[in-house]
Amino acid sequence: MAPLKSLEPDYPIIDSNFQQFCASHHIFSVEDFLLHDIYALELSTKQHFDSKRLEEGISVVRTIMEGLHQPWLNGMELLQKAQGNKHGISTGYERIDVLLEGGLFQGNLVELVGPSSSGKTQLCLKVAANVAVNNLGSVTFFDTGNSFSPKRIDKLLDQSSEPAKIKTEEVRRRVMDKIVCQSVFDIYVLFDLLHQLKSTLKPVTGSSVQMLIVDSISSLVTPILGSGAHGHALMVSLGFLLKELAYEHNLSVLVTNHMVGAEGGHLKPALGESWKNVPDMRLHVSRDCKSNICSMSILRHPYITAGKAVMFSLK
Amino acid sequence: MESSSGVRKWIEADESAKELLSRVLIQLFLPPPLHNFPFRLGNVVEIVGPSPSAKTHILMQAAIRCILPKEWKGVHHGGLDHAVMFIDLDCRFDILHFSRLLEHQITIAEGLKFSEEIDRDSLGGYVKNLTSMCLRRFFYVRCYESLQFLATLKTMHTKIQEQKENHGVGIHMLIIDSIGAFYWTDRALSSLTLGDTNRKGLSLQAVSDTVVEELRKLLQLHPMVILTTKTVNLQGRCLKHEIKSVPRNMSSRDATFFRATRSKPENNPYREYMPSVWQNFVTHRVLIRPSDDENQRPPIFSSEWLLPLLNRTDRFTFGDKYYIHTIILYFGYIIFQFTYI
Repeated sequence: MAPLKSLEPDYPIIDSNFQQFCASHHIFSVEDFLLHDIYALELSTKQHFDSKRLEEGISVVRTIMEGLHQPWLNGMELLQKAQGNKHGISTGYERIDVLLEGGLFQGNLVELVGPSSSGKTQLCLKVAANVAVNNLGSVTFFDTGNSFSPKRIDKLLDQSSEPAKIKTEEVRRRVMDKIVCQSVFDIYVLFDLLHQLKSTLKPVTGSSVQMLIVDSISSLVTPILGSGAHGHALMVSLGFLLKELAYEHNLSVLVTNHMVGAEGGHLKPALGESWKNVPDMRLHVSRDCKSNICSMSILRHPYITAGKAVMFSLK
Repeated sequence: MESSSGVRKWIEADESAKELLSRVLIQLFLPPPLHNFPFRLGNVVEIVGPSPSAKTHILMQAAIRCILPKEWKGVHHGGLDHAVMFIDLDCRFDILHFSRLLEHQITIAEGLKFSEEIDRDSLGGYVKNLTSMCLRRFFYVRCYESLQFLATLKTMHTKIQEQKENHGVGIHMLIIDSIGAFYWTDRALSSLTLGDTNRKGLSLQAVSDTVVEELRKLLQLHPMVILTTKTVNLQGRCLKHEIKSVPRNMSSRDATFFRATRSKPENNPYREYMPSVWQNFVTHRVLIRPSDDENQRPPIFSSEWLLPLLNRTDRFTFGDKYYIHTIILYFGYIIFQFTYI
């Protein structure tokens, strides 16, 4: 965080005198202020010859701190914001939309959990195609295992409920242009890309949707989990970054988590205990081994009880 | 002359004994499973449980009780008529859900059915107005990392002051959901202590110390109940059933000892991870567990007071979402049974 010195041009009150006073209390940055007892600091200015100016300086630091956290909103402001911005995005599967009461929502981090070839990627592609074809907005697809396939998207477009729309090659190209895919093979690159995305995102305009898909997030995170606390810290901060992108920038974020074998031959999510309370919504996908019939059940949802399930056909 | 009038003003009574008592003896009665005690301003209540175990839902119900008025336009709502501040560290709070719960809580008020003033036509308006009035005294902030949390706490005093002046309603409840959210990220923190070895480094301990210190100061300036949640991983679920009875032939003193020593594992059915400075700050702690039968619909939870230690378990459920046919179950928190150990 910013050293006090760098604040001087913007806040002349934080002059060398003030910096010296802070340094005598082992404070060099705003971050140090956050850990320091400011009341005690205020008291100690009293002994100083220039106490008035120092107090003023401290109150300026207070206002700087206010800018360091999200603003307080009252419930009514929150509600109006949510009603204006949090729209449902259809997944392209009517039954899933019904189960989730309107599909995926802007502002949410949604996780799909399921064993390999249970239809997670297919679902991601379908959502991407659906957003693009219905002209809802744009999709950023972070692909960690070369699972993104433009051909599949092309096929999905053919199956789309309104094929008339995508007859011409030109329209098809425009639709494909809406989906940007990027290969990511390690978590640090993902952090970079997400920070880039965060800095380039513009404030929400109209009803345009921005969708962010990471398929699969678990394959980036599991390799670093072995390193103990550090790995967990990276995982949790990735979760918070995704939630911040979703909520503050009104993205709809969809990530997938694969499953691994656990004791007794059971399967468990690759990202387990410390991750499971990160997403807003957690959905379990499974597939009958011979057919294309999949089922989706709710593991966590802001208000729908866990356990509700629905069957759908992948095609 | 001026100074003597100042002194006179200072010693002048500005509050009757009755006012003082009603200020000091404020008790908050919260909905189940927090119904076992009336809470006093200054209490720090921690709701502990695995994820998911309806902890945030319990917070929402407590917040609704707090922001609802006791009575509005002649209809009794049984609320506490105060503002609530909600610091969301888990970043999963859903305002649409919260407002729906609130609206529902308003519509189930008994008096609404019999009120002469409010007929069916004006009912919608009544609910809408009251909902927005209540929501206006609910204050919410999200923090995505510890530094934001600290900045929020450090500047909260001015925020509360401002709110008191503007709205005239006191704040009696501060909610933090959930306190351990940044545990992993804080543990990995380490800032370079360049130049000065006395400089406080950013660490889990330093963050917890500061959080507790700030909350303490805040409680002194603005007495309120702090309600927090903490997500834990339960260890071995059946510990509870192992100690069922005290051998008959024991004297009562031995029996107490027996219970105290034997029930130790039960006191800590989860691995504690927050630094002791936080643990010591908590005055009340309740453990929520989902029932062993995971397929039970609607899910049943049990609650157990660990601090103060009550040797009893209450069971409660929420029913199925907000569908009309099960709505009574959901909001009524029907207590299924009380099992005394």
